[in-house]
Amino acid sequence: MTDDILAIETLERRAKRREERRDFFRTLGAMAAFGSAGYAASSQSAMAQSAPSDGDILNFALNLEYLEANFYSYAVFGTPIDTKYTSGSGSAGTATGGRKVNFTDPVVAQYAKEIAQDEIAHVDFLRKNLGGAVVAQPAIDVGIDPNGAFSSAARAAGLIGGGASFDPYSSDENFLLGAFIFEDVGVTAYKGAAPLITSKTYLEAAAGILAVEAYHAGLVRTSLYRKGIATPSLIDATEAISRARDSLDGSSELDQGIADIGDASNIVPLDANGLAYSRTTGQVLNIAYLTNMATARGGFFPNGVNGTINMSAAN
Amino acid sequence: MKDDLMLEAFESRARRRDQRRGFRAAGSMAVVAAGASLLSGCGDDEATAVPTPTPTPTPTPTPTVTDGDILNFALNLEYLEAQFYYFAAFGSGLPTSILGGAGTQGAVTGGRQVAFVDPLIARYAREIAADERAHVEFLRGAIGTTAVAQPAIDIGSSATGAFSSAAQAAGLIAAGQSFDPYASDENFLLGAYIFEDVGVTAYKGASPLITNKTFLEAAAGILAAEAYHAALVRTVLYGKGVETPSLRTSADKISDARDSLDGSADKDQGISPKDGASNIVPTDSDGIAYSRTTGEVLNIVYLTKLAAQKGGFFPNGLNGSLNTSTAQ
Repeated sequence: MTDDILAIETLERRAKRREERRDFFRTLGAMAAFGSAGYAASSQSAMAQSAPSDGDILNFALNLEYLEANFYSYAVFGTPIDTKYTSGSGSAGTATGGRKVNFTDPVVAQYAKEIAQDEIAHVDFLRKNLGGAVVAQPAIDVGIDPNGAFSSAARAAGLIGGGASFDPYSSDENFLLGAFIFEDVGVTAYKGAAPLITSKTYLEAAAGILAVEAYHAGLVRTSLYRKGIATPSLIDATEAISRARDSLDGSSELDQGIADIGDASNIVPLDANGLAYSRTTGQVLNIAYLTNMATARGGFFPNGVNGTINMSAAN
Repeated sequence: MKDDLMLEAFESRARRRDQRRGFRAAGSMAVVAAGASLLSGCGDDEATAVPTPTPTPTPTPTPTVTDGDILNFALNLEYLEAQFYYFAAFGSGLPTSILGGAGTQGAVTGGRQVAFVDPLIARYAREIAADERAHVEFLRGAIGTTAVAQPAIDIGSSATGAFSSAAQAAGLIAAGQSFDPYASDENFLLGAYIFEDVGVTAYKGASPLITNKTFLEAAAGILAAEAYHAALVRTVLYGKGVETPSLRTSADKISDARDSLDGSADKDQGISPKDGASNIVPTDSDGIAYSRTTGEVLNIVYLTKLAAQKGGFFPNGLNGSLNTSTAQ
């Protein structure tokens, strides 16, 4: 009996918190279960009428993979990804500012190396599938300058003060927080794009990358949660980053940190139905460009992403 | 120079994955033998069959499979997961109000609350239990009146039950012994490990079969949740494996056992590190998660290499039209 009550309380608290956090989305009420109509509408408007081709979507994803692969590559190997992976149409740029992390915890070093390899594999895979239509790697800022993307993101989250810099390469913990900034966004990006892909083959491949990004995100969140027992500020930091992301991408609740909900952990950011969130391409670019306005560049992509899908949404 | 280092590390991971495939040809024999003893218990004389090197067919859209069929298939799996985590976390099953529907409703055998030692594992269990229940309720709502009932589910720890059979097939325990996923934090994690990656491959394999875009996006959302869960479980086992190396090797063995059940293609990986990299994420050499067909998923949950309509965790089979495992 007690256990039943405990079970109900856990579930209700977890669902309730998600409900509370959903803000505006909750007002859509019964649409919650299949409330993707809003998603379809906003993604259409972000793409100026014409539906994107599969190539457009894969190239959009490729830009994000360039960013992730370079961040992890710097952290693990001290170098950006090999130039054999960076050519293509559009405005080619370099990934600047990263450096090798001097990992203290060997397990975190092993995680970093695994993720780096996966993200480079994603770049390679998408490039092979795009063939001649592939976009070049755009300019990417993964540096630690106080005016750079990581510092701006950390400042927006309130992790650092004005003029200070956030260095995701300075410690295991900062590396994990840097990774946290990206991973959940990748999940929501692939999920949001899934129904736009027409080729069944590409769809299944995209589902496979979605899964891998979710594994990565789960890895990073679980590691931060465990380390957060000794260092609670890590958990607070994830909540702050999550709120910052959520403030950029519009009024819908699309993000969660890892602080406990009642007596349960919150490794998995899900809506009340137990589903991961979706972001439109415009919302993803709000976060990558670090702006809540409609622009074609900024943040981690100082010259914007390459390809036809390159505008953040006006929120 | 550094580029070379990076390239080498990258290639070694891809190579490792390729090697694991070749490795299986020999390595899986032992597991197949272990599986054979499991199957011979069922009086099946085909159990000694050696896996043939026929390529596993990729999932192909079949016009007769509706979105409702696929979601009902998924619902059966969610009943299984939700009941396991609910019992482990709370000591009780799902409320009966969310178990009825089409087909034959069955009961849950076994299952009890874990006396967690590590409070974090208890919190993880409660989180996952709530998520899996949400999936059950969501799918039931999405499918509507044609939602299937919960079939009979075996999550007990009897020596002849599904968990013990799976653990025997993986070589974690000897024939006749029982595996109790509720006995300790570690056993609970290994029990969870048996399911989570399979859920990911099931949803991925089903994704191109779903015609309705709304259902597709929802299924992608559950796929993501299952992948987060799988990563949680794998990361915790990997971390605890620093102190207790057998946790990593046990996870590896469970993966091998799954792989021996679902045909000759490599669709599974354990967690043990290689060349300085962990293996939290089971992926192919393109960095992409694996797919399983519904038949292959049923090979694992029915614990059989044969075409069957019941067995293992589902003693009376799944409810719904997708209920037959693949002959491997």
